[in-house]
Amino acid sequence: MIASVAVVGHQNNPLYLQSFTNANDALKLHHIVHCSLDVIDERVNNPKRSVSTLNESYLGLLYPTESYKVYGYLSNTKAKFLVVTTDLDVKDADIRSFFRRFHAAYVDAVSNPFHVPEKKIVSRTFAQRVSGIVKAFAAGTNG
Amino acid sequence: MANYLAQFQAIKNTSDRLVVAVEDVSDLWPSVKEGLEKRLPLKKASLNNKTRNPVYVENLQAEFILTTDSRLRSRFPQEQYLFWFREPYATIVLVSCEDLDEFKTILKPRLKLIVQNEEREWFIVFVSKAHPNNDQATKNAKKVYARLEVDFNTRKRERCCKLDLNGVDASFWEDFDFKIVESIRNTLDRRAQFYEEEIRKMSEQRLMPVWNFCNFFILKESLAFMFEMAHLHEDSLREYDELELCYIETVSTPGKQRDFGGLEHGDDQAALLKPGFKPLSQIVQDDSFREFEFRQYLFARQVKLLFRLGRPLEVVMRGYSFIISFSKTLALHENTLPFCLREVWVISACLAIISSTSSTYDGLAAPDNEKEFYRLHGDLYSLCRIKFMRLAYLIGYGVEIEKSPVNSASLSMLPWPKPSIWPAVPEDASAKVLAKEKLILQANPRMKHFNIQRKQLPLEPSSLLREANRRRASLSVGNLSELIDYRQIDGSGIDGHQKFSPSTTNSMSRTYSGPNLESSLSLDRPMRISEVHVAAEHALENTVTDPDLLKSLSSLEEFEQKYMELTKGAADNYHHSWWKRHGVALDGEIAALCFKHGNYDLAAKSYEKVCALYAGEGWQDLLAEVLPNLAECQKILNDQAGYLSSCVRLLSLEDGLFLAKERQAFQLEVVRLAHSEMKHPVPLDVSSLITFSGNPGPPLQLCDGDPGTLPVTVWSGFPDDITLESLSLTLTNTLNTDEGVKTIKSSDAHILKPGRNVIKLDVPPQKPGSYVLGVLTGQIGNLRFRSHNFSKGGPQDNDDFMSYEKPTRPVLKVLKPRTLVDISAAVSSALLMNELQWLGLIVKPIDYSLKGSLLSIDTGPGLMIDESHTIDINEYAKTMEDKVHAHDSNTITENNTHPLEPKQLYIENGKIALPDWASDTSTTLWFPVHAIDDRMARAASADSPHRQNMVDGMRTIALKLEFGAFRNQIFERTIAVHFTDPFYVTTRVANKCNDGTLLLQATIHSQVKATLCLYDAWLDLQAGFVHVRKENGRPVSSFFPLVISPSSTAGILFSICIDNMAIAADQNEVVQAESILNVMYGISGDRSNGAHSPTSLKLGSSDKLFFKVAIALQRPILDPCIAVGFVPFSSNCLRVGQLINMKWRVERLKDLEASPSSSCKDEVLYEVDANPEIWMIAGRTMGHALLSNARGSRTEITVTCMPLVSGHVRPPQLGLPAMDDANISCNPPGPHLVCVLPPTLSSSYCIPA
Repeated sequence: MIASVAVVGHQNNPLYLQSFTNANDALKLHHIVHCSLDVIDERVNNPKRSVSTLNESYLGLLYPTESYKVYGYLSNTKAKFLVVTTDLDVKDADIRSFFRRFHAAYVDAVSNPFHVPEKKIVSRTFAQRVSGIVKAFAAGTNG
Repeated sequence: MANYLAQFQAIKNTSDRLVVAVEDVSDLWPSVKEGLEKRLPLKKASLNNKTRNPVYVENLQAEFILTTDSRLRSRFPQEQYLFWFREPYATIVLVSCEDLDEFKTILKPRLKLIVQNEEREWFIVFVSKAHPNNDQATKNAKKVYARLEVDFNTRKRERCCKLDLNGVDASFWEDFDFKIVESIRNTLDRRAQFYEEEIRKMSEQRLMPVWNFCNFFILKESLAFMFEMAHLHEDSLREYDELELCYIETVSTPGKQRDFGGLEHGDDQAALLKPGFKPLSQIVQDDSFREFEFRQYLFARQVKLLFRLGRPLEVVMRGYSFIISFSKTLALHENTLPFCLREVWVISACLAIISSTSSTYDGLAAPDNEKEFYRLHGDLYSLCRIKFMRLAYLIGYGVEIEKSPVNSASLSMLPWPKPSIWPAVPEDASAKVLAKEKLILQANPRMKHFNIQRKQLPLEPSSLLREANRRRASLSVGNLSELIDYRQIDGSGIDGHQKFSPSTTNSMSRTYSGPNLESSLSLDRPMRISEVHVAAEHALENTVTDPDLLKSLSSLEEFEQKYMELTKGAADNYHHSWWKRHGVALDGEIAALCFKHGNYDLAAKSYEKVCALYAGEGWQDLLAEVLPNLAECQKILNDQAGYLSSCVRLLSLEDGLFLAKERQAFQLEVVRLAHSEMKHPVPLDVSSLITFSGNPGPPLQLCDGDPGTLPVTVWSGFPDDITLESLSLTLTNTLNTDEGVKTIKSSDAHILKPGRNVIKLDVPPQKPGSYVLGVLTGQIGNLRFRSHNFSKGGPQDNDDFMSYEKPTRPVLKVLKPRTLVDISAAVSSALLMNELQWLGLIVKPIDYSLKGSLLSIDTGPGLMIDESHTIDINEYAKTMEDKVHAHDSNTITENNTHPLEPKQLYIENGKIALPDWASDTSTTLWFPVHAIDDRMARAASADSPHRQNMVDGMRTIALKLEFGAFRNQIFERTIAVHFTDPFYVTTRVANKCNDGTLLLQATIHSQVKATLCLYDAWLDLQAGFVHVRKENGRPVSSFFPLVISPSSTAGILFSICIDNMAIAADQNEVVQAESILNVMYGISGDRSNGAHSPTSLKLGSSDKLFFKVAIALQRPILDPCIAVGFVPFSSNCLRVGQLINMKWRVERLKDLEASPSSSCKDEVLYEVDANPEIWMIAGRTMGHALLSNARGSRTEITVTCMPLVSGHVRPPQLGLPAMDDANISCNPPGPHLVCVLPPTLSSSYCIPA
């Protein structure tokens, strides 16, 4: 199950963060996403370590812990996309396609002329679209 | 084969180095032992690794063992085969012989017997005991050795070397080392090949039923062990890696149900660094090993090799992933394992890895590796911390754990342990249960500062109470529904318990509490949370064997100490790595614990770090969680500056993060502090809270030197109105930064409403330039605050980290100095001299209001203002319009004028205050002036018309206009006004009549742009002239009034004659020297055009003006006695620079005697008058020329001169000063002008080609 999705700007500021857990515990997901930026920073700043991963946007599994996983994706404009999932057995291809759709939704949202770059995304359409993608992902992995 | 495990283990324990066998044929060992053993360990050995590549091994350990030693003797062949790795890797045959025959007969057969075993690697050391002085012995030994070489060396390999006991040759030891290494290498290669072959064979059988992992393991480990002994650790490690892979495959194949292990005492402590923790024979099971122990064993072996290889980083890397993966494995077997064994094992494993690697890490690795190392350590600490917290939570310390996002993220997604049966409450535990209950009840959930109410973040994945009871309920039936009924399931077990107040659940507490608690406890009854804790604690005490861990869990204080240690460990290590955010987040946890223990100073420091991180990256949700804590610390520490700043930051966080009530509390704190007496008043940065911008639209434009009022939009982020005692803003000139900043102030108190406020600030005169807003400063109570933040005119912007991107728009433009007003004379043509005239001034504001302006007028010499008159003022444009449409649109323009506008002004002390209506329009001021000129006008000859000098008629008037809001602007100008006589007069004698009557024509040239009307004119003649017929001097024909149009002329003719009678009489009396022409005239002109009727006259009155002109009349030359003639030039043209002779002929017309006026006898005085700028005279210009007195005598006067300029110039004139003009007749008269050509071109500088 996807617990949370997030878009983080190139200055590591949160642009969009949506949690999909029922409990009122979004703050801990904020923390997880924020800490995951460490891993992205490390990968981006250490090209030697991750030659293979840097050639593509998909950063792969950032954060394998016992209880959840964080996957990352880095756009050309250094916007970071993160997914926190409690599902410990996810196919890489599923996550890749999820990120591609997520990225497309983001591009559409920021292409809105009324959107101020590097500001939080408040578009309701974007939120709905992301929820749709998350639901589709859940359906895909369960099915 | 599995039976050999124990033996294998024993062999491994005893043999740790390669064995070299010594076959002591000639009992030489005691004498050479010392020398040989000195060579160990072998300094440098070239061995082959598994892939047959040479590897240089340093300090290779080996041991010499005599073949007669029991260790080599007592082995069975089977064992030798199995544990071949411990067999000798080389055999040294020690021989000595001094007799060739003896060698041939005895020694050689024996040696052959020894070396016939092909599998051995051997070489012979021939020991010569011969003394160097004993030549015979030496010779014999040499002979024997030569023979030995012949017999045992082959072409491919030399197997002999010679040791001289009495005088060792250095080359022997090199030879010896080489041979021993060669033997070891060969043996090693052969054995490795053998093992590999065996392993390959066995691997092929892997899927067959006969497959036995133990056998495979023994072979594989033997090989690994052999490599390890040969210091080929890399190869050894690879063998273990393969072994591990193979094992994991083996255990994961479905089929046999195997014991997992981990049930023995002490298994809770990870044996990751202790390969010998349990003998292998104890963990063997059927054909394989128990997973729990065996995987740890393999890992321990790998770690040992990694340490040998000097790779602590790899130890940590492998260790962390092993712990994670093994923890997962433990989770699979959790229902068979003791309660929480998994957690306890992870804790001990993490700590073991940390302690082993941190002591061996030398810190000399590459920076990247170092960071990675610290990161992994941080991960290990963090993992350990999470598990430790989980254990603590289970036994009831959860109430004391900070419910922060960090802890919640770690714990709330981590599943509960899943024992097959949740531990039950032990007997006699009522005291403990009560103690736990007390702990829970006493735990005072810390109220957040400012009464911030937040739902606490969960630390448990699901309610512990429910989980425990559910797991127990599997033993009974029917109470699950009961559980759900009475418990509000909200994901927060402890909180839920606290809500479980006695008043609402009286019956429950009566039922479940009391002295007989334990007796009433049965499987049917759900446990209470305190009982769950007691049960868990009891179970843990059984699981945990580590006394340190037990101690750490024994009391809250011990727990907190350990918790702090782990948190600090994690944070410190993360700080040394790339993962700063992890480190800082954990700093927050350290701060929370410090705060709890009253160590506010440390807490504040740590919280500050956390806040700085979150604020810097804009994670406001997280910041909102931490910032109140920081504020509370600062308040307790009495750090007013910090506290205020925190309050301001809290206020400036996004809406929605705090309730309105909470935000009001923040503001109250700020205001309270601001109005309290602070010891050290601190400046406060409120950039995030109060933002400001110029008003939208174009910037305020001010003229140079003008003050103004600047409206500024100030956005207040305070939730309520806030009173500012003062407010000031700095302005920065964008064009000229050298000037620094200007501050504009508003000292009035302002009340800022939440949101947008417009504040007007007075701007004193500024230098020209474009100004942007700089810093807003002000005071709230005693508090000085500053704000640097511009808002875009929308709601305040909180993302201050991006504020630098905002463009700064100029709010004020002070224009460069320009003309704001222009004053010019309304009329360019001349006014009448000596008459009162209206002088018009056009005052033209240029896009600038002249309201309240004051005009000072200072007249120059020869001009005065008649202050008795009022001053007219009217609109300039209208005047012009009137002129254009004078004939038809008078009524319309009248309507346009201001009915009340004063048209008459008064001058006071030379100053005129301009009326308000005239402030924006161009106006014309008419004021009366009087130019005075005492000189009388003179008529000129018509032949040489001589106009009046313009300068004589110029009068100046200095004007100074003070205007602007504070009369700060000053305009000064001096205007020249031209005054003139109404006309000038030229005269000429129109005709000379034969009767001596002269017709004198006076031509009157109008000099004004007005129509003159001559009413009368008469001539008062000078002495020597009289009017013909003794008339009154009126002109010949009288047709007055004579009208003269502007700039035109009129002539009047007088007839006069020379009064011969008067000449003689005149000589003795003073007579009128000049004639006077008196003119009575009127003028009709418009003041807007120029000269006009003087203001003193009423318009249309019959008063006439009077004007006098002096006319100089000359008597004609009636008595010529000398004639002067100009002799024409000899050449046609004159050139500049050319000398010419100018000649005049002077001829006497009368005898001298007849001429009464002649004073000279026979000479005449002459003078040449020439303009020195035009002519250069060579020689005298004055002199006497001889001229006889007789009539008709002549002389020529020649003057050499040179023209200096080209053009038509007036030639030099000859004058005779001694003669009266009346007596000189010029005939022919000299030319008026001569033409002088430019000089011929000089060719001096032209070089012919």
